Amino acid sequence: MKDIIQIKNISFNYPDQPLLFDKLSMDVHEGEWTAIIGQNGSGKSTLARLIDGLIVLKSGQIVVDGLTVNDENIFEIRNKIGMVFQNPEDQFVGATVEDDVAFGLENRQVPREEMHRIVEKSLRQVGMWEFRDRIPANLSGGQKQRVAIAGIVALSPKIIILDEATSMLDPRGRQEILSLVNEIKKQNKLTVISITHDIDEAAGADWVIVVNNGAIVEEDKPDNIFGDIEKLESIGLSAPFTSQLMTALKARGIDSHSQYLNDERLITWIKKLISTK
Amino acid sequence: MDQEINFNQVTHTYQVNTPFAQDALDNVSVTIAPGSFTAIIGHTGSGKSTLVQHINALLKPTTGEIAVYGRTINPNTTNKNLKQLRKHVGMVFQFPEKQLFEETVIKDIMFGPKNYGVSEQDARRDAEDAMKLVGLDENLSEKSPFDLSGGQMRRVAIAGVLAMKPQILILDEPTAGLDPRGHKEIMDLAQELHDQQHMTIILVTHQMDDVVDYASDVIVMDQGKIVKHGNPQEIFSNPQWVYSMHLDLPSSAEFATRLVDEGVPLRHTPLTIEKLADEIAQLVQGGQEHE
Ligand SMILES: Nc1ncnc2c1ncn2[C@@H]1O[C@H](COP(=O)(O)OP(=O)(O)OP(=O)(O)O)[C@@H](O)[C@H]1O
Ligand SMILES: Nc1ncnc2c1ncn2[C@@H]1O[C@H](COP(=O)(O)OP(=O)(O)OP(=O)(O)O)[C@@H](O)[C@H]1O
Ligand SMILES: [Mg+2]
Ligand SMILES: [Mg+2]
Repeated sequence: MKDIIQIKNISFNYPDQPLLFDKLSMDVHEGEWTAIIGQNGSGKSTLARLIDGLIVLKSGQIVVDGLTVNDENIFEIRNKIGMVFQNPEDQFVGATVEDDVAFGLENRQVPREEMHRIVEKSLRQVGMWEFRDRIPANLSGGQKQRVAIAGIVALSPKIIILDEATSMLDPRGRQEILSLVNEIKKQNKLTVISITHDIDEAAGADWVIVVNNGAIVEEDKPDNIFGDIEKLESIGLSAPFTSQLMTALKARGIDSHSQYLNDERLITWIKKLISTK
Repeated sequence: MDQEINFNQVTHTYQVNTPFAQDALDNVSVTIAPGSFTAIIGHTGSGKSTLVQHINALLKPTTGEIAVYGRTINPNTTNKNLKQLRKHVGMVFQFPEKQLFEETVIKDIMFGPKNYGVSEQDARRDAEDAMKLVGLDENLSEKSPFDLSGGQMRRVAIAGVLAMKPQILILDEPTAGLDPRGHKEIMDLAQELHDQQHMTIILVTHQMDDVVDYASDVIVMDQGKIVKHGNPQEIFSNPQWVYSMHLDLPSSAEFATRLVDEGVPLRHTPLTIEKLADEIAQLVQGGQEHE
């Protein structure tokens, strides 16, 4: 599979701060959903900003879809990446919700008719079309996150980076938005990078990268990552729901003898236990 | 002093009397008991943040009144003489950035106590204690609060409020952006403040598991109205209704529902992992005893 993002031996520090990344390398596979998890301050948002060229590397190289991130390529790269920031307020530029979503399309010189069509579709997809005349700053927290996501969805980027983009949505809303992104991913071969503290969301990803203190401590399929709960807990993370239930069952003498089961497999196993009793 | 919080027919309209007027609270009457641990849940935009901002008079009602801590807040309340109220009612905002303003982390956390006349030395001690409580590394003390990660900012905002030692603590989605350990630590801390110092805790949250694990009372909001007020068992007893509110059941109940759909004959809807494991164990082991 093609690596749509290649991060090669990068080093970075904020001004007057010690090195945050010291020769870090990783790749992101095209068309996959990659979850990045790690405790507060471990460098996840910084990594996203470096990929998007918002801050500059000290050394090393980042290649996005064949282009090295540098001043020369920056606009082309930003056209490929749609980034939803951790704080949606950092993202708003338009005076109204509608203008805000239209802004990126205007920049890309999308014809007016087409632009209106896309803006309406995107706002409807996130359930915010009724709010189109509102001032983004005067929305509730979850409404802001929805508008920020609409702004990115409208641009149909090749890569979407979600930096805790659904942290303030109600439970159903979060599922709806994640399904929406998943749907777009399937249709358009979209690559998704989701920075998240929601371990159950990460458990549903194709690939999980665990960072701690500016270093990648592990990267693998969810099944392998979530097999070693103690390791995750030792760096401030937690087990997915299914692992917690398996632990509770084990304490009651019911042991699956497997490392990790996702929802479906756990349900299948429980059904089997009960039917063969 | 009377710590009951009482909303009496409160309505709030943002930008009232302008073409941009937005109704956010619609005739809300509710009493939040002193010493309770009350969770406020509801879909995006249902009015939760608007509701809690009335408790320390950051917002004033458009009509109706709120009685809190021996004060009455009504449409005519001005920003004068609110200092005592705000000392007792601490509020952590949904967006922590809104709350930070000093040059350094330590100064930011010390601001509250100093503002209420605590000496420099004591304020520093309170701030350092608060930093420990929220899991902030002391080497962040001299950093600008704006040069922090999202979760670190959140912790500074919480520490700043704790350093004031309020008696009513309002937390508006305090765990959004916190890593799993931080999440558990902050929730356990809220519980400890509640249990040991009898603080009234008001928690706005989208985490149904926290509602079950920590809250004694739950208020459900929908379109600016309070549509239900009860204990977690009552609130989650009707899944269809919960879904219609754009909410979920706690993870264990959600998983139990899926098991039942798959033909596993669970008898109750367990709200916690321990109870769910008990139910499953009973089916598995209870069966074995009969053999
Ligand atoms: N503008 C800045 N100036 C100086 N230091 C910064 C700046 N932004 C972040 N940092 C520091 O860099 C480290 C990594 O921060 P980053 O925001 O990348 O973490 P994160 O993994 O996204 O954390 P969180 O889960 O809390 O969002 C932290 O220790 C933080 O204090
Ligand atoms: N400053 C404001 N000006 C105008 N309308 C506002 C303002 N703040 C909030 N609103 C509107 O009032 C309603 C209630 O908002 P509020 O922030 O109380 O919701 P919430 O329940 O906290 O939502 P969330 O879970 O998304 O944070 C929303 O429809 C929102 O758009
Ligand atoms: Mg971050
Ligand atoms: Mg809110």
